[in-house]
Amino acid sequence: MAVPRISLVRPGRDLRVDFVRGIALWMIFVNHMPGNVLTYLTLRKVSLGDATEAFVLLAGYAAGIAYGRALERDGWLRAGARVVQRVGTLYVAHIFLFVVFTAQVGFSAAALDQAAFLDELALDPFSQEPYRALFEALLLRYQPAFLDVLPLYIVVLALFAVTMPLMRNLGLMLACSGLLYAAARLFDLQLPSWTGDAWFFNPFAWQLLFVIGIWLGRAPPERLARWFPWNRWLAMALGVLLAANALALNLFWGVTLSSIATPEWIYDWYSTIDKAGLHPARLVSILVLVWMVAHLLPASAAWLNGRIAGLFILMGQRGLPVFCLGIFLSFLGRVTLEASSDWWVQVAVNALGLAALIGLAALSAWYDGAEGKRKAPVLPQNGNMAKTS
Amino acid sequence: MMRWRQLLSWLALSLLLALPARAEGPACGAPADALEAAALKGTQIAVDRGTLRVMVVGSASTQTGGTSGANATWPHRFQRLMAARLPGVRVELRNEGARGMTAAEHARVLADLGPDFRPHLVIWQLGTVEAARGLSADDLADTVKATAGHIRAARGERTDVVLVDQQFSRFLRANADVDLYRDRLRMAAAASGAQLFSRWTIMRYWVDNERLDLERAPRSQRVTVADELHDCLARALVEFVLDGVREAR
Repeated sequence: MAVPRISLVRPGRDLRVDFVRGIALWMIFVNHMPGNVLTYLTLRKVSLGDATEAFVLLAGYAAGIAYGRALERDGWLRAGARVVQRVGTLYVAHIFLFVVFTAQVGFSAAALDQAAFLDELALDPFSQEPYRALFEALLLRYQPAFLDVLPLYIVVLALFAVTMPLMRNLGLMLACSGLLYAAARLFDLQLPSWTGDAWFFNPFAWQLLFVIGIWLGRAPPERLARWFPWNRWLAMALGVLLAANALALNLFWGVTLSSIATPEWIYDWYSTIDKAGLHPARLVSILVLVWMVAHLLPASAAWLNGRIAGLFILMGQRGLPVFCLGIFLSFLGRVTLEASSDWWVQVAVNALGLAALIGLAALSAWYDGAEGKRKAPVLPQNGNMAKTS
Repeated sequence: MMRWRQLLSWLALSLLLALPARAEGPACGAPADALEAAALKGTQIAVDRGTLRVMVVGSASTQTGGTSGANATWPHRFQRLMAARLPGVRVELRNEGARGMTAAEHARVLADLGPDFRPHLVIWQLGTVEAARGLSADDLADTVKATAGHIRAARGERTDVVLVDQQFSRFLRANADVDLYRDRLRMAAAASGAQLFSRWTIMRYWVDNERLDLERAPRSQRVTVADELHDCLARALVEFVLDGVREAR
């Protein structure tokens, strides 16, 4: 096996997954800054879905591998406890980011000296009912803008902790998950929110993507290759469809509608594609992309071991801390772009942001590496150790 | 420092006065493609018949929106400017907007008062409250489609619907996921035969070109700038609607 150029990258895993995950994390960071010009380079501008789908799917993939092994080794109780511990970490991170967001709203209101705007927009339930807002935030029933992915992840992981043994029968797990998804969409099964009617992301619908991720991570690769073989004609047809879709989306965004006579039914169909409940079209769209990437990007591609790819792979391997830092930095980015969105500010925000994300990933990898070496002799000898760490 | 600034503003002012008025395009130099409308058949027929009934629903900006008074808001300015541009046409306005109203509430107002007033042109300003409070963008789109569908079922081509999206605001952009709501509005408009007048695009253009920037206006100037903003918006809307009337002919 080729050795990655960046020593902190963990070899031995499917680097493509980490690479795509790193890209998704970067896109989430960019998409959390409205006004950032790089938004035009992200998935949401050309596809029905966006980086959130990739993030949830690959979180499932990673969870399937890591906790699947833990389940086999330590049993449900211990493996489940580890998931619950992770849920706790996420919850604390979310509350921290909530505090940061609240501070940011106050800061930018003061910086722009525009109490009138704040008043008009009623952006800030915090100023009206602070105790209630805090309480609702702790219950995850109050999710300000840009703070909606972590609550989704928290609930999906909590569901996973409870239903872990289903991993022993992947078909059954997928069936249960599909049923819950269908029920969520058909019967409007959702979690209540304080400010609106429901959560921004419905966890009962989005869990399906996570479970598909687990399934992809757990199923033997040969079997996956047999079930979803490469078909050039299908791929070409889908490629045309994706391109047409990208074009249609950009007609909405870029061109005045009066200049194009597009039938209303097309827009009517597009406007029914909801994000909250993971509309089937969004689900199909991300799965098609996965199939294409899995076949078009060989796991042995030499550039995956290169420096540039290595940076994204490093980020992908440190998903959680990088995600949280990304959300945090996007606050700073938004405040900065609010002050000025000149080109050099855009460049600075994006360059510094990406550098910080990579820096944190490297730090976290280095720390784990050092920690692993320190602890290694204490652990019982295990033939698989090199692979699992 | 202060003296320099004063000197500069005097210079700018004298330059402005020295320039001929037509140096700036119509509607305070708003970008031309934001003022292009598709055919507004109902409005055109009403104009030809001599009476145009306009119904406005919206949130804060239709009520006072920081201007010097209700008469200074864009709906009232729109009425006066339209009447001036269309001699011999009576332009009636029914302004039912109020601060903090959601699109769902507007839909109820339109359903309640619409049949009585029988507007030829519905100007529906929406999306800010939803974005600010994080209400469902999917529901917003559904409300627009259902309401436009009802209006069309009841009035056919006799009533046009023009949606007006959010004000451009750095503050809103930084603190709410406003792009999501703008995208949904655009799509809902295209899906329901309504037209979108993009206040966001136009105001952003004014901000980028340092023409009008309410958010950065000093506190003492704010009412004056808000008045000017509403005047310019009304002018832009007039251009947009008249373009739609021309297209319909």
